[in-house]
Amino acid sequence: MGPDSAPDPPVPWRKVLWERQPFPDNYVDGRFLEELRRNEGLRQYHYWAVVKEAGSVGQQLSCVAIFITVWLYMEQGLLSPEVLLLTSLVCAMLGYGLHQVLASTVDSGDEPRTRLADLQSAAIFLSFTYGFSPVLKTLTESVSTDTVYAMSAVMLLAHLIFFPYTQPSPPGSLSLNAALFASVCLASRLPGALHTFAMLSCALLVFALWPCLLQRLREKAPSQFTGVCVGMCIGGIGGLGSQSLVGAVLLALALGNVTFFCPLLLITLQRQKDNIQGPWDEAEIHEDLSHFIQ
Amino acid sequence: MGQRGRAVLQSNASQQESSGTSQDALKHNRKHNICMVSDFFYPNMGGVESHIYLLSQCLIEKGHKVVIVTHSYGKRKGVRYLTNGLKVYYLPLQVMYNQSTVTTCFHSLPLLRCVLVRERITVVHAHSSFSALAHDSLFHAKTMGLNTVFTDHSLFGFADISSVLTNKLLTITLCDTNHIVCVSYTSKENTVLRAALNPEIVSVIPNAVESTDFTPDPSQRRDDRITIVVISRLVYRKGIDLLGGIIPELCLKHPDLNFLIGGEGPKRLVLEEVREKYQLHDRVRLLGALEHKDVRNVLVQGHIFLNTSLTEAFCMAIVEGASCGLQVVSTCVGGIPEVLPEDLITLCEPNVRSLCAGLEKVIARQRSGAVPTPASIHARVKNLYTWRNVAERTEKVYDRVVGEEVLPLHMRIQRLRSHCGPVAGSIFAFVAVLDFLFLLLLQWLVPDQIMDLAVDASGPFGMWNQESGIKKRTSSQKS
Amino acid sequence: MEGESFTDINGTPIFLDCQSHSTFCREFTVTSPKVPVTKVIVFTCSIWLLAYAVFLFTEDTVVLTSAILITLVSMMLYVHLVKVEQETLFIIGSLGVQMSSSYASGRETTTFIELNKIKDIVINEAIYMHQIIYYLCVLLKDPSDPDAVSSVVPLFQSSKPRLNCLMKVYRSCQEILSKCP
Repeated sequence: MGPDSAPDPPVPWRKVLWERQPFPDNYVDGRFLEELRRNEGLRQYHYWAVVKEAGSVGQQLSCVAIFITVWLYMEQGLLSPEVLLLTSLVCAMLGYGLHQVLASTVDSGDEPRTRLADLQSAAIFLSFTYGFSPVLKTLTESVSTDTVYAMSAVMLLAHLIFFPYTQPSPPGSLSLNAALFASVCLASRLPGALHTFAMLSCALLVFALWPCLLQRLREKAPSQFTGVCVGMCIGGIGGLGSQSLVGAVLLALALGNVTFFCPLLLITLQRQKDNIQGPWDEAEIHEDLSHFIQ
Repeated sequence: MGQRGRAVLQSNASQQESSGTSQDALKHNRKHNICMVSDFFYPNMGGVESHIYLLSQCLIEKGHKVVIVTHSYGKRKGVRYLTNGLKVYYLPLQVMYNQSTVTTCFHSLPLLRCVLVRERITVVHAHSSFSALAHDSLFHAKTMGLNTVFTDHSLFGFADISSVLTNKLLTITLCDTNHIVCVSYTSKENTVLRAALNPEIVSVIPNAVESTDFTPDPSQRRDDRITIVVISRLVYRKGIDLLGGIIPELCLKHPDLNFLIGGEGPKRLVLEEVREKYQLHDRVRLLGALEHKDVRNVLVQGHIFLNTSLTEAFCMAIVEGASCGLQVVSTCVGGIPEVLPEDLITLCEPNVRSLCAGLEKVIARQRSGAVPTPASIHARVKNLYTWRNVAERTEKVYDRVVGEEVLPLHMRIQRLRSHCGPVAGSIFAFVAVLDFLFLLLLQWLVPDQIMDLAVDASGPFGMWNQESGIKKRTSSQKS
Repeated sequence: MEGESFTDINGTPIFLDCQSHSTFCREFTVTSPKVPVTKVIVFTCSIWLLAYAVFLFTEDTVVLTSAILITLVSMMLYVHLVKVEQETLFIIGSLGVQMSSSYASGRETTTFIELNKIKDIVINEAIYMHQIIYYLCVLLKDPSDPDAVSSVVPLFQSSKPRLNCLMKVYRSCQEILSKCP
């Protein structure tokens, strides 16, 4: 029974404890670890599929770049707030139309929002932003410009980090708040109250409404989604390039890194994965038991 | 792996045969001075604690000397004696979390060295991978050149970050441990994988159950009803959420079904809510925490014992249930399928549907009277797991271990570095060197020869039953 | 009875002197060695050297003065309060136990425990600093419950003799206690 006592194996070993078996305690059978399973339920990634998925990250990065470009133009006075507001309005109308078209193709189960409700929220937002834009304009006057820029940079970074890339509609509250905070900071450094209003409307368009439309697009028309992503990336690089060449190069590098290099890294590292499962794992409760107690 | 293992085993066996019977006889007469180390001991209650206590008692009965080292529990610190002169050192070490001590790798060395020297310990036997003191003692014992044994009582996954870290720690402390004891074959597979061990040095010695404490008494049952007994801590790992799903499902179907639930824990809320929602106050009784002596009195009131654990290395509860003559229904996880023969246990998948189906089958059998009598079940179970058997098998592990050579420091460093990876291995090789230097310092401060040898209470020259020996009291305090 | 040499738990030699005044009355004296002169010199020199080093930087004579004062005061306190040269256990059957310790300064403290308060004298184990040691102690009866122990009075607390010395004292004490009803 003890380790190393003489084995005579005419009977096969069984993995049971209740039977006294003629094997030493430290006996190792050929069936040792036969229930070991490796890398069960492992997802096999295909490079181009991952690149496509990573496109949404690159796209979001470009959105931020485009927003900064618009702000740069505004700050230098190359873009008047009226033009920006008009463009925003046109884009919003087009986007809304597209959103409605995509929604109508497949009717979702839950109650759709009425046009009136949409119009109402838009009106409330616009009037409040317009009313408060002089306040927002002077909000950060006592803070030094460097601090404001640093804060905006950090907040935009936070927006990118916490953005819910898998489910961007509705946009995550943390990332959306970070982005709006950054835009308020940046908008307050513009010359006039109307500038601030235009900038904030633009921010809402880019950070809140655009991801919703994009998500719809991704669900309904995946092929166009890729095209839109590529378009956004090119737009971002182009826009930034018109202001700062270094910025454009850095953005292009970042985009290349995120969309092409990182997926490659994921797939290479995937081969190193060694996940062990077996009967010793804690069983998981898959079913939903909450209905028993509620 | 198995093939290679068997070859080595056979060569070992043949060597032993050729070395003749005289050495064998010597081996069996050899008495050991064993030091059990674990953070978990009385007054804490649980599986590890009772394992250490009962194993020690059986080893003392066999003539070995056993001392236990644990950390202090509240005012209980210093040296205490238990039944049969079992000496317990409650060392004043800081408790960090869940009764496990803080580990700095060094600070426990002076006191542990003192214990090991004055008790003339030959084998250090550490218990439970959750115990930091056990890991420390394995490390220090190797520094002091003693042979070590480790018993693993629990299963661990490989997925989350905490288990990755604990497994690394286990790899390091077990890398030069002479022998490891696991409580089931599943637990052995788990430990071998976790600590990257050679399976040859891992023995499987199951836990035991004091079957005389768990005798059936059918007169305590209510014959007009069927009672399902559950005795476990009410925590997630014991599958109490599943139990919360089973209770309403079965109670609605069978109006004569009662549940008797013993144990305490955070998941008690779930059961209380279920009871509230389905108005089952008269049919589901929550008994709260049970003392060990009351467990049997609760068990004998039931017809069916239910275990819903999600993970379990051995599961003494189902053996206790079967020993009391109950039909056992259990989830099929960890080492549970190894514990009882197929006809004494109904194994189910860990989900509500499967457990309900299993229970219904047993209830139907119980109704039709097609179940063996409690006495016949008890008779089959009572000799399956005895502490005496555990002690005999553990003794063989000690016999094997004391003959082994302890690696000198340079070999130990080499082994740490080759076995535990370049980073962790190098760090712990450095720690091993520091530990050795610290030991030298302690040996210079208080040399071994001026340390008083402890008076043996148990063991071959035990004083416990000798009136002529000096009289000593169990009370002790830290001065 | 003549004396015997033992060591304490740190390995320094101590001297046990047993005197049997009668069959019911015994006296045990444990004498620790005097503080060696070298130790005193090393201690004083190190403090003065340190003070002088500080003085070189600060050029303030207060440092030197205070160093001298500190050494003097600490030496006096050590001799008066810490250093015990002799510990005596005086056991008289039917009367009680008297423990006295005399300090290096000549100061003496004495405690007496009546026999009817004493439950027993035993050797016990305790964790002391980073060691586990044996010590001799008097168990006091609980006035409300004669079988319970209310508190423990350790003996030879400063000299801390090793087990062989304690056993000798213990056996003699038990001899006397067993003769008393």
